[in-house]
Amino acid sequence: MTEPHANPEDLDLYALGALDGQEKQTLEAHLRACSACRGELAAARRRVSLLGLAAPPLAPSPSVKTALMQKVRSESASANKQIAPVEPRKIRWGLRFSLSFAAVSVVLALATWWLVKLDLDQRQQIRQLQAQLGKTQIQLSQDASTMQALAAVTSAPDSAQITLLQQPGGPPGQAHVLYNARMGMGIYSGQIAPPPDGKSYQLWLVPSSGEPVNAGLVSANQEGGAVVVRLTPGLVPKAFAVTIEPLGGMSQPTGPKVLVGAAS
Amino acid sequence: MPHAPDSALIEKMMAGDESALSALYDRYSAMLFGMLTRIVQDRHVAEEVLQDVFLQLWRNAGQFDSSRGSLPAWLIVIARNRAISRMRGARNRELLEEKDGDFANTFASGQNIEDDASRAELARSISVALNTLPAEQRHALELAYFEGMTQSEIAARTGCPLGTVKTRVRAAMQSLRQILG
Repeated sequence: MTEPHANPEDLDLYALGALDGQEKQTLEAHLRACSACRGELAAARRRVSLLGLAAPPLAPSPSVKTALMQKVRSESASANKQIAPVEPRKIRWGLRFSLSFAAVSVVLALATWWLVKLDLDQRQQIRQLQAQLGKTQIQLSQDASTMQALAAVTSAPDSAQITLLQQPGGPPGQAHVLYNARMGMGIYSGQIAPPPDGKSYQLWLVPSSGEPVNAGLVSANQEGGAVVVRLTPGLVPKAFAVTIEPLGGMSQPTGPKVLVGAAS
Repeated sequence: MPHAPDSALIEKMMAGDESALSALYDRYSAMLFGMLTRIVQDRHVAEEVLQDVFLQLWRNAGQFDSSRGSLPAWLIVIARNRAISRMRGARNRELLEEKDGDFANTFASGQNIEDDASRAELARSISVALNTLPAEQRHALELAYFEGMTQSEIAARTGCPLGTVKTRVRAAMQSLRQILG
């Protein structure tokens, strides 16, 4: 016998976050099995999201934007400063090739050099990462600063690779982070089963002491487009972890860990 | 870039163009700040959350998927989640992070709210719709949206029987559904 569809009012309440108790559990069980009601829920979400417009617009203090832009500029400057040592090499190559081609070449050459230095077990993992980087290089060929970041991290002898593994009961997946604590810069690449609807995967650097540090959102399939991670230089990771968070991420982890990798 | 579409500004941000972030801030900060101030009831805290939301947008612009909804709707959901989490702390995590609540608190909006005129018109429609609700229905709805309360929590707050609260919230949402489609 076919289960009756959810009451539209319950879907509204669920989208609003007001449904609780047994009603909520019953509806969630139904939603897992009923694509038609999931579609209706999307419409309910549209209505609920619009309620935010009910609050009259209000101009924040100009200092908020000033502080925001200063922080953004500071982050950009920090990233550029950290990659300064590779600038001369890039510029020389740039005389003979286009900027993007030169950056790709430098990354490949340095990645290969770095690969030779590692032991056999690590080589297999790095080959995968290198292949992923190749795809990334194509995608980001127009982004010179990102390419420089990749080159800097890949070439640094003190960069370390951390493999993040699936957690019991969590979605299947695996990821790698190539991270340089001195630079505060790294590259995340990996693949996880898609997150629940309305959720994001978020990467965290877990320091040896103190609270986890937000390393940004990551896609479920980040195999073909690695993410460049930029954090405060000097922050030494005890581990990296990926958690499930509300859409857009959180300032501190609140959801379950799906991938975890300890830095050796 | 005052008239550039959101999608173009997102692409520029992904390329590291800070002026694109500046343009998006100018476009949506007042909309978000009004809502945030309403939720947290503190201008200073609202400004902190506002800055946090736009920093998140700058750092993770590539995560925005325009096929799933408009940028302002995405920003509204993120800002609301963060503000309510900030106000309610761990208790709210249950609301936002239910272990298998795969279906809650996501974003979407088929409405065109990217340009100021459309957004203002829609805001007027919503205000009219809310004002047509009986006061107790509107109050219950506002407790749910702006304070992130469940029906049970609203009953505890207002001292009304749970059944009454359910009726009020359901009736309010039904009225909005008829008006907003």
